[in-house]
Amino acid sequence: MNEHGGPSGLTVGSEIKGPVRVVTPERIEWYDSAMLSAAKGELARVASNIHTNEEYARTQGLAGIIADGMISTNWISSMLLQCFGMAYLENGELRTKFIKPIFLGTKVFVRGRVLSREPNASGTVTYRLEVWCEDGDRTKLTVGDASVEVAAV
Amino acid sequence: MLGGYISDLEAGDVFEPVEYELTSFMASEYAHGVEENSEWMHSPEAPGGRQIRPPTMIHVDKMRILEENCLKEKRVAGDMGPDARIHYEYHARHASVAFVGERLIVSGRITDKYVKRGRHYIDYFLEVHTSDGRLVTTYTDKTLLQYEADKEFVDE
Repeated sequence: MNEHGGPSGLTVGSEIKGPVRVVTPERIEWYDSAMLSAAKGELARVASNIHTNEEYARTQGLAGIIADGMISTNWISSMLLQCFGMAYLENGELRTKFIKPIFLGTKVFVRGRVLSREPNASGTVTYRLEVWCEDGDRTKLTVGDASVEVAAV
Repeated sequence: MLGGYISDLEAGDVFEPVEYELTSFMASEYAHGVEENSEWMHSPEAPGGRQIRPPTMIHVDKMRILEENCLKEKRVAGDMGPDARIHYEYHARHASVAFVGERLIVSGRITDKYVKRGRHYIDYFLEVHTSDGRLVTTYTDKTLLQYEADKEFVDE
């Protein structure tokens, strides 16, 4: 067990939970500005776009400001890191699909479920999971799958 | 076509690679922005004693390589294209961990560009290696070039 938990005890059908967070203007700006800052290598602040400007978002055919898909992806990624630790970083795979826009004010629940747990000839175990983000009505907003190979526990 | 807007890219276009040094600021700022509180992404208090890059930063590398290959739409610099793009699918496979202080090389190409139900999609394939050749991440991405479907499709 490390600071990130570890997969011991996970069996097929086990559910894992990530953060529960409300999409706020601040969170959207934190992500967008951080992405720009990381790309530039210096502090940057997001300008007007579909994630920050309601009027501009409507000109693009959206009903309003939406969260960047990478926000929900990152929250799912954090859940996998918490569960699988270094193995996720070394060999993990994550696919996410943004099937519904996530609008401001949405309360997002991050979830995962183990689909399979397969021993490998090398002595490791590969976990495959479905992962998703849903709102308070359990409507899925982001869906995907993940796999991680870990040392047998 | 490279050198124009992102919407000018075509299947088969091969990006000019981008090389940069991963700094502590980049890793920590990105982790902070996505509320990733693992100490591993914020300081050398991590396995191996070196700060680790958040795995999802492959998406920053996509922005970085677009910035250098689509000169009319430098989104990182604040230039807007004719339409807002909508990210539709993220798919990263990690092969190793990238550490702060390493030089990273981002390469990639456009694998497909097509219209489905009146919507215009573009597919990317990217790879990140360290400068000494170690594969860090492979990545595919599907993006809508504009949210609204073509008018003739909407009117059907």
